Amino acid sequence: MDSLVVSNIRQRPLRSAISVLGVALGVALVMLFTGLAHGMSDDLQKRSSNVSAEIIFTRPGSLQLTSASVNLSTKYVPLLQQIEGVESVTPVIRHFYASGAFGVDQVEGVEWDSFSKMNNIRIIKGQAPRSPDEIVIDETKAARNHPVGSTIKVFGDKVYRVAGIYAPESGARAKMSMATLQEALEAPDKCTFIYVKVKNPSEQVAVAKRIDEAFPGNKIQLTREIFATIENSIPGLTIFLRVLVVLAAIVSALVIMLAMHTTITERTREIGILKAMGASRFYIISEIEREALLISFIGLLVGFALAAGAGFGIHKATSLIFEFSPRWALTAAAIGLLGGALGAFYPAARAANLDPVNALAYE
Amino acid sequence: MATILKADNLEKIYRVGKVDVPALRGVSLAAQEGEFIGIMGPSGCGKSTMLHLLGGLLTPTKGRIVIDGEDLTAATDAKRTDIRRRKIGFVFQRFNLFPTLTAEGNLRLAERIQGNGADDPDRRREILRMLRLEDKMHHKPLELSGGEQQRVALARAVVNRPAIVLADEPTGNLDSENSEIVLNMFRELNDRFNQTIIMITHNPEAAAACQRIIQMRDGHIV
Repeated sequence: MDSLVVSNIRQRPLRSAISVLGVALGVALVMLFTGLAHGMSDDLQKRSSNVSAEIIFTRPGSLQLTSASVNLSTKYVPLLQQIEGVESVTPVIRHFYASGAFGVDQVEGVEWDSFSKMNNIRIIKGQAPRSPDEIVIDETKAARNHPVGSTIKVFGDKVYRVAGIYAPESGARAKMSMATLQEALEAPDKCTFIYVKVKNPSEQVAVAKRIDEAFPGNKIQLTREIFATIENSIPGLTIFLRVLVVLAAIVSALVIMLAMHTTITERTREIGILKAMGASRFYIISEIEREALLISFIGLLVGFALAAGAGFGIHKATSLIFEFSPRWALTAAAIGLLGGALGAFYPAARAANLDPVNALAYE
Repeated sequence: MATILKADNLEKIYRVGKVDVPALRGVSLAAQEGEFIGIMGPSGCGKSTMLHLLGGLLTPTKGRIVIDGEDLTAATDAKRTDIRRRKIGFVFQRFNLFPTLTAEGNLRLAERIQGNGADDPDRRREILRMLRLEDKMHHKPLELSGGEQQRVALARAVVNRPAIVLADEPTGNLDSENSEIVLNMFRELNDRFNQTIIMITHNPEAAAACQRIIQMRDGHIV
């Protein structure tokens, strides 16, 4: 195509490529971080929502997202069962340990029969954990090269055999028997929290109140309140994402501004020729803006590809989930294009106001 | 023949630091439609300044310019640009082609600047054919000789049928053979299409192609 815009971009391939990469970087950062953040958040949300219990009973200060204290006595299990309106109870130990590329992983200790029955979880391959060295995992973890019969290291070097795979995903991706985890943590008769399922969900508030009256000084929460705000409970996530978006826009704009400024300085005489040919200010500005937008558009595509590739790679290397969001894709596209357009505007306006005689004489 | 250009008492003073430098000191001239006028004079006599004023690239300190019925001096910058776009074609000593576009692409650019959806491939080819460039249409300037580049520049200047072509030393960067070719093209445009041309030149051969010569010295017409 015999177009000034396209030919100008092709004339300086290295500079054009760097400009494209600058825009791509901003776009990729937005897509990658929001994709991973939302992937993580939605995954947590999904696994949390596969809990049928309406009430969580724990010690005060527990059940923050990273809480792993094992300080609740399991003596409460039969006591809670006796509260009016309670259908079933099951204790859970949640433990975080150093692991893998991400550095932290999670395992839960459960009484499998009561836990699986309460939360409608079933073993889809293999069997429930029966011996102290057995563990069950969810499908996502199993897909990362952990079939039934394989081994997984927990607590650093301790090897556990994958006895089964369960579905749906719920809470930690790996579960072992409560007794096994209690022994490993040297916390006999202890757990992190107790799930309570009520007979009539419409009475969960009343049941929670009864539990609080029966066992004051403990923390009683409704699961619908905890799990509905997963994203908000990750401190500053929303703010972080917004700051990231703004920074990405600034990066894109600055890259384009610098590229256009350099380009226009080199092409001062060409701008003088355009003016001598009768090109209006609007024409000159629009030509430069079109060039910037074309670079930004290509940067956008490269950025999406980079984000998709990096997201896929990160997912393969860790357990993080990259989630493509059309809303954030549009935001990233707007950032790339708007940043490019705004960044080019000042150099374009300067070019349009050049004195044509001086511009023609420019060497 | 109608008067296509009239310049009355043009003055142009440049402010250089704290010093006023007069480049034109009251120059008047008129060009009839279809005239081929040459402007000659020593360096610094104000030839280029006058050409730039006639083309609306500069505004005079005093005086008036009317091109094809439109007052250039009373116009705003945007209006002057508009008049230049519609009425004037420039040919420069240094050709000033866009190096990234082909010969035809340079003409197409002139059409796009003209606006109004102008896109006449037949006219572009006709002009390039007339200027003996039909086999160079898809070549970029670096692939053309000096004479060929100047002919492309001439084609670009006339593709939108301007009222006047202003040429600033069009043969200044050419050898005698290519100068002859380019001058013949100017003559042909003038003879066949009644194109009005005002040309600055130091070249006696170029001056010989003109119907009228205007001599300038020290900012005056002598």
